[in-house]
Amino acid sequence: MDYELECKDVTYTYPLAQKPAIKELNLKIEKGKLYGVIGENGSGKTTLCSILRGFAPSFYKGDLTGEILVQGKALASYKDQISRKIGYVFQNPFTQISGIKNTVFEEVAYGLENFGIDVEEIEKKVINIMQLTDIMELAEKSPFELSGGQMQRVALASVIVLEPEILIIDEPTSQLDPQSTESVFKIIKKLKEEKKTIILVEHKVDLLAEYSDEMIVLHDSKIIKQGESREVLSDLSLREYGIRLPEVTLLSEKLREAGLDIDQLPITKNQILDLIEKKRKGE
Amino acid sequence: MEKTFTEKIQICKKNKIAGLYPTTKFQVVILFSISTIVLNSIKLTDFKLALLLIPWFLLVPFMFAITGEFKKCMKAMKAISFIAIFIMVVQTFIVSGGKTLWVWHFIAIREKGLQTGLSLCFLILNIAGIFVWLFQSTSTKEITRCLEDTKMSFKVAYIFASTLEMIKVFSSKSKIILDAQRARGVETEGNLFIRAKAFIPTLVPLILGGIIGSEERVLTLEARGFSMKGNKTHLFNLKKSGYERIILTISIIITILILAGRIYLWIMN
Ligand SMILES: Nc1ncnc2c1ncn2[C@@H]1O[C@H](COP(=O)(O)OP(=O)(O)O)[C@@H](O)[C@H]1O
Ligand SMILES: [Mg+2]
Repeated sequence: MDYELECKDVTYTYPLAQKPAIKELNLKIEKGKLYGVIGENGSGKTTLCSILRGFAPSFYKGDLTGEILVQGKALASYKDQISRKIGYVFQNPFTQISGIKNTVFEEVAYGLENFGIDVEEIEKKVINIMQLTDIMELAEKSPFELSGGQMQRVALASVIVLEPEILIIDEPTSQLDPQSTESVFKIIKKLKEEKKTIILVEHKVDLLAEYSDEMIVLHDSKIIKQGESREVLSDLSLREYGIRLPEVTLLSEKLREAGLDIDQLPITKNQILDLIEKKRKGE
Repeated sequence: MEKTFTEKIQICKKNKIAGLYPTTKFQVVILFSISTIVLNSIKLTDFKLALLLIPWFLLVPFMFAITGEFKKCMKAMKAISFIAIFIMVVQTFIVSGGKTLWVWHFIAIREKGLQTGLSLCFLILNIAGIFVWLFQSTSTKEITRCLEDTKMSFKVAYIFASTLEMIKVFSSKSKIILDAQRARGVETEGNLFIRAKAFIPTLVPLILGGIIGSEERVLTLEARGFSMKGNKTHLFNLKKSGYERIILTISIIITILILAGRIYLWIMN
């Protein structure tokens, strides 16, 4: 079986950098799963995303060794068609507008225009996505006049509308308030239901525990742990690498210390409720 | 039935002159500028003044009026008129040569001075005026779209459009920041120096933000197929108002008549 994305022994160094920003990366991304990426600042999360999209080295230049495959074919062989396969949403909402469109509707439609889609088709698709991302009421507003949260939703819409099979989303909520964060995660949830493959860099581990299937942990340019979310996020030793664990995990640890017999630490509210329920029935 | 979004973003102008195809407007601007320069070379009266530029200038407000943008254009002309008149006065009194026409103490008007002053002033008024007409009656959206159509590189069109948008955003943002500065008690009114002092701290974050943002902006565009080869769709399309031909014909005829007149005068003298 071909993986959606696969990295074999990838090492990447930025131009003029002393040491690689990503070292000996081996990664297999399966279709329809959501992968959470965590790690300290500077551990290489954004660089990983750039590599998976091909921005490193095609845009950043620098040195890349190893192999990157998209659905079994070399990433480089897709050329400009890669933007149809992989969507990319950046951290800063304010730099993600095209800067040449007067309305949110046109902003969201911009990528489809570049792809040469029919006008009627564009109109239909854009309306669809604006409903999905809850920005319908912004349609005729200027993109320059939006709040951070609104802009990030517009940025997401502008990428989702291109219907990429794979989405790379780099810290979409780091500059947003809790309410906007929630609305962004609502969108991500819908994308997951549509069986998109998603790679999501995010600091809010509690949300990742809730939404992700798998986790990738980066430290000092290397993957130090990857696997099923519950297994990864219940690994208390990750704290030594400056990684925060979900509240639920920490709480369960306290419960375990207090003498409760817990096999694998829960990482989400539902899991801890299940656990409590079981214990209650068992006793 | 309700309009689709694509219909809503189209530009429909009632005024047929304002609605002229941007290329046609540009051709009119070029013909008008050529005529202006030709008229400038026709010197009348004993003092050899380019007097024809004065009645010719009446055409500019006339154009503003028939385009239905008189007020907006006149506002833009204010600063230009000020500069033009300033230049005329300075040139008139400074440039020496030829007969002395008028003296008062050490101030004198000489023939050469009057000639250059008058001609520079009306050259500026005419040519700047017609460009004001072009840009006040045409939106950036139309100009950009037109650039895209002329087979110019879409990158050039993008740079043009985004620069103009940025200027708009910068100026509105700097107003917001200036207001904030004023609210904090920073002096923002007064002489140039005081203004600059209030303004520099407002510009630094704006410019820095612009530079740091540009890398992500490039990648954002790339992620949305900016440099994708093949045909692009355009949701917004330019329309012709139907008066392109006649306006262009009139402009050409007037230019030819002026040229003919110029040549006739050459032959006669
Ligand atoms: N454009 C760049 N040029 C050179 N070095 C960079 C660039 N971007 C990031 N780096 C370096 O690469 C390392 C990883 O950075 P990054 O991937 O941005 O980390 P993260 O997203 O996890 O915070 C850091 O040491 C950073 O300084
Ligand atoms: Mg980062």
